[in-house]
Amino acid sequence: MLRNIDKVSGIDKISTRSRMNDATFITLSMLGVLIVLLGLACLFVPNFYLGQNIINLVTNYWFVIVLGIGVTFLLITGNFDMSVSGIVAMSGVLSVYFCQAAHVSQSELANGLGLPYWAAIVLALTASLIIGAINAFFITKLKVASIIVTLGTMSIARGIAHIVTHGAQRNTSLPDVFKVIGNITVIGSIKLSVIIMIIFVIIAVIIEKRTVFGRRTYLIGANIEAARLSGVKVGQHLTILYLISSLLAGITGILLASEYVSGTSNRAMGSEFDALVIVLLGGTSIAGGFGSVSGTVIGALILAVVTSSATGLLLRPEWQFILKGIVTFLAIMAQRFALDRRNI
Amino acid sequence: MSEYVLEIKNLIMDFPGVRAVNDVSFNIKRNTVHCLVGENGAGKSTLIKILTGAYIKTSGTILLNGKEYIAHNTREAKQKGISTLFQELNIVNQLTVEENLTLGIEDTFMGFLKKTDKIKKMIGILKSLEPSINPKQLVSSLSVAKKQIVEIAKAVATEADIIIMDEPTAALSENEIQRLFKIIKSLREKNVTVIYISHRLDEIFELGDYVTVMRDGKHIATKPVSEVKDRCELIKMMIGKTLFESYIPKETQSSQTLLEVKNLTTDKLNNISFEIKKGEIVGFYGLVGAGKTEIARAVFGADSYRGEIIFKGKKLYNSPDKTIEAGIALVPEERRSQGLFTVLTIRENISVMNMQKISRAGFINHIKEKNVSAEYINKLRIVTNTMEKQVSKLSGGNQQKVVFSKCLFADSDLLILDEPTRGIDVGAKSEIYNIIRQLSKEGKSIMMLSSELPEIVNICDRIFILFDGDMKAEIKNSSDIDCEEIIHIATGGEVVC
Repeated sequence: MLRNIDKVSGIDKISTRSRMNDATFITLSMLGVLIVLLGLACLFVPNFYLGQNIINLVTNYWFVIVLGIGVTFLLITGNFDMSVSGIVAMSGVLSVYFCQAAHVSQSELANGLGLPYWAAIVLALTASLIIGAINAFFITKLKVASIIVTLGTMSIARGIAHIVTHGAQRNTSLPDVFKVIGNITVIGSIKLSVIIMIIFVIIAVIIEKRTVFGRRTYLIGANIEAARLSGVKVGQHLTILYLISSLLAGITGILLASEYVSGTSNRAMGSEFDALVIVLLGGTSIAGGFGSVSGTVIGALILAVVTSSATGLLLRPEWQFILKGIVTFLAIMAQRFALDRRNI
Repeated sequence: MSEYVLEIKNLIMDFPGVRAVNDVSFNIKRNTVHCLVGENGAGKSTLIKILTGAYIKTSGTILLNGKEYIAHNTREAKQKGISTLFQELNIVNQLTVEENLTLGIEDTFMGFLKKTDKIKKMIGILKSLEPSINPKQLVSSLSVAKKQIVEIAKAVATEADIIIMDEPTAALSENEIQRLFKIIKSLREKNVTVIYISHRLDEIFELGDYVTVMRDGKHIATKPVSEVKDRCELIKMMIGKTLFESYIPKETQSSQTLLEVKNLTTDKLNNISFEIKKGEIVGFYGLVGAGKTEIARAVFGADSYRGEIIFKGKKLYNSPDKTIEAGIALVPEERRSQGLFTVLTIRENISVMNMQKISRAGFINHIKEKNVSAEYINKLRIVTNTMEKQVSKLSGGNQQKVVFSKCLFADSDLLILDEPTRGIDVGAKSEIYNIIRQLSKEGKSIMMLSSELPEIVNICDRIFILFDGDMKAEIKNSSDIDCEEIIHIATGGEVVC
């Protein structure tokens, strides 16, 4: 890189080297934490080191990571998206409802609209995008705080799921094609959903690091007024991000519904919190302007290792919530401590 | 007790690269209204900030009632007897007048509020100042003027020796100003000395007993207002003689009109119209609050307005991204909150306004971006060892150069500079003036808005003078320009031509 600078004639050399920047520093230190935790788990948790267990770690968390991508980008701009879990439930339930056969049963929950599966997917995603658009409208046009708006739409989206399923689930009279995408395995025993997650992560990292769009995301988070006065179309940018986030949640909902061959109103309950936790664990700052998708992936793995080794250590699963809370606090404190040390 | 309530001796205040208060000595007589005047950067606000405890003096002595005085914060200053009426009032809107008066000094019994004589006494003082205020009223329902009176009452009740008033009339109507003046005059009988700061010179003659003039951090004079002949004498003391020599008139003037503003009107501005030609440096001079920033932001499309703004023959859209595309860039008034992304690096800041130039199909070309940053760091001599440095870690002058780099890289034909040298040291200032002159030579037009007269008369070809949202006068710059006349108009004097 430096050599290219030297080629430009008439310009003195200005170093492009720097101390590692804070974002990289945090990502690497969280990677260190992950490796240490993984080592401890392998030592102390029975059977943890088995290859299948490690793969399960990733595969069980694929959908939180997909949600985390949208949440990361938004949090970098200084905005929350709590609506993702509601959208997951809604889009899953709608994808079932739209392609359940019509007029086949006495039971209301067994009757759907009888549309082809592709049409059901398109409509479920459209509904998800509408929720994203509502988020964007209230946040960018009416300047309502994002956490309030998205908590509201979370409730609305989940409410739609509840109404369509009468508060339960729909899992009958579905075409055979319905269960394919969520259960098909591609390489060895890895599910298609996991591959989709990996592809999304790669695309997101490229957008974040290499594109003007990614750069503008950071600019908005770093200083929204300066961004506006520098010609960034802030409202348009946030709208796109909310649409992307809701689209990712919609896709997640369809994949999960297919995996379990059912549309359940309580699907992914609390996953908006999990998504936020892994984003924070990955070093993204609530203050905005700072963070990365690769950090989010590491955050997801840390949370996965902690919760699954706790289960392995015979802690009852009910303890997971408290454990997540403690991990979150410890991680945030450790980051603050590390950053303060560094910037003395 | 001595005749003087406050004695300042050899006061010095140093900031990195600047001596803001330079060996200042003067005394303030008890129970008088003492006015403090001077241009921006004269050192008034620094002096006041030392008195209120915002800054700690470098050296020198301050005696309050004959005793050594030092304060580390406003609270301590208040306890020692110096209260301040800031422009941003220190008052809680959600409480009643009475609650505000006793806020922080309530009498309590086991944590419960007690009604005591203190409240009665305070209300008595408030009534004597302004009978129309109901103590049970919510403060949010009061006008700015009445809120000020509540604060003054509180200061009087807490037995302040001195009340500092910083531009108290800036947000008041004519009637309210008269009422405030009456109250200020009555404070003398209440054993209170007032230090009064205002840019509006007429107020000083109406209100002041004594006036102290400061210039470039130095004390110029302190005398009874009755001994000051007229505004002219004050203005002469404020601006001195030797400042304005370096304006070099341009040999050729382009006749091509670049920007045309017709009847620009907003809440603050009344029917502003002007033109800017290609390659011209046009200055807008006026006091704080005269409407300079409002003009800048309207032309740039950052605020809404009525009227017409035509650039290169086309009407401008009211949106910064469109304005930048059309060829206008803004160096905003507040560089940290409006101009810079301080948590990001120099490199990331410089490229912001012209991402197309360093990207293809939406992908950033990092090599191009680094070359561009290196180019501007060299061209504007930004002092840094690497372009990957966080902007927050640069000095004020270097930060401002990053803002300039950002705007220059936008490659625009018109640069709007709002207070381009605020808060930066003398060396960086003159470098920025050179950059501005160079740009004008390259055919770029500059619209410079400043409340510092020296820089306006140093580099601008034409000067517009603003007062209270009105365009008062247009003056062509020349080496024998009448600075006194300019200040006279900008401080609210009549235009005589």
